[in-house]
Amino acid sequence: MTTDPGGAPATRVEEEEPVASATPPRKRFGVKAFLLLCAAVVALDLLAAILVPPFPKGGQPGQACDYPACFINSVIEFPPPPVVLDLAPATAPATAPLIYFHPSISSTILTMWIVMAFILLLAFLATRRMRQTPGRVQNAVEWAYEFGSDFAVGIGGERARRYYPIFAAFFLFILFSNWSGLVPPVGKIEQLRAPTSDVNVTIGLALTSFVLFQGEGFRRLGVRGYLGKFFPIGEFRKGLGAGLLAMYVGIIELFLEFVKPVTLSMRLFGNIYGGEVALAVVSALTLALLPVFLLGLEALLNVIQALIFSVLTLMFILIAIEGHGSEERHPAAAGGVSADHTAPGGAGNHQPVAA
Amino acid sequence: MEHIGAGIAALAVIGPGIGIGILAGMSSNAIGRNPDAAGQIRGLAVILAGFAEGLGVLAIVVALLALFIK
Repeated sequence: MTTDPGGAPATRVEEEEPVASATPPRKRFGVKAFLLLCAAVVALDLLAAILVPPFPKGGQPGQACDYPACFINSVIEFPPPPVVLDLAPATAPATAPLIYFHPSISSTILTMWIVMAFILLLAFLATRRMRQTPGRVQNAVEWAYEFGSDFAVGIGGERARRYYPIFAAFFLFILFSNWSGLVPPVGKIEQLRAPTSDVNVTIGLALTSFVLFQGEGFRRLGVRGYLGKFFPIGEFRKGLGAGLLAMYVGIIELFLEFVKPVTLSMRLFGNIYGGEVALAVVSALTLALLPVFLLGLEALLNVIQALIFSVLTLMFILIAIEGHGSEERHPAAAGGVSADHTAPGGAGNHQPVAA
Repeated sequence: MEHIGAGIAALAVIGPGIGIGILAGMSSNAIGRNPDAAGQIRGLAVILAGFAEGLGVLAIVVALLALFIK
């Protein structure tokens, strides 16, 4: 486009006309085609609902099903996952109590294996043929790696760089597990269900995270140093009152340490399972159009939940490895639970300067 | 009786609703005052909204337990 001001209006008007008439035929995917696609999807949904109507759970296809109640009951999935392969059929309990141990392969474990295979395949394809000067795929992967690394360091400070791989591992695994619940066959077929919509999987992930940050704390500070954070015997030297107060705070912190994996697992489970049930119910009630927005919302929420789980794990690791009484402020979100851990030390050390 | 209990437990989702609403208002205020920091504020707001949402989920878990545990 020429930028000379002299005689510009005349030439620019001439230039714009041919350009304006040239663009509509060049648009590949116009608004009309999009609307046509939407109408086709809605028609397909209605056709499917007429030809293959929902049937009561455990019944045969073709049984009568009235609109709100039976539609919803036919798609609802209960918290315990259905079993795909029973490894010990002889000892299967007839009516399942709340917590029981029974070796079997449930649908969530099967889907988890599929997700793991998918992630490993992606990782393998991304890091094949690595060169010193990267090609296109390697460039994109390196960009993604650095983006995540900058994010982790931005949240946790420079020490987070060492724990970035576990952060990325949790994030990728939970993200793809969550998203696998939105892919059409999963959740409808008995044999497939999103892994993180199962309490067992999320409790397993939370226990892994728990062992990880406790282990890092013990490794960095030693057994006495780490336990000294909860039971500060040294505070008794400053007087009985200070000692008792420190012990009280320590016991509350010890309690909070065990609350962390519980909230991690329940937050993830509730979000993903609740999202699946909500999606199933809304799809059963309003067949088309409305579930699309819910699907988009669910996709976004799955990303956020994966992010929160991994960010919290990273924060817990960083909190566990800092010594007692250190006043480092984290640049961003204060890690929720132990934000008041640094406050007593900080306030106490700043007062003499003001006085 | 379980259904009444589940319904009362589900009322607790009001809490995160109000919390996320306050978060949205304050973060919009902050972005209005300081548009250069919009990226950081947006990232922080998303993460904090996730925390608040997690607590509402605990209420849903209690409701589910009330419904499905005989």
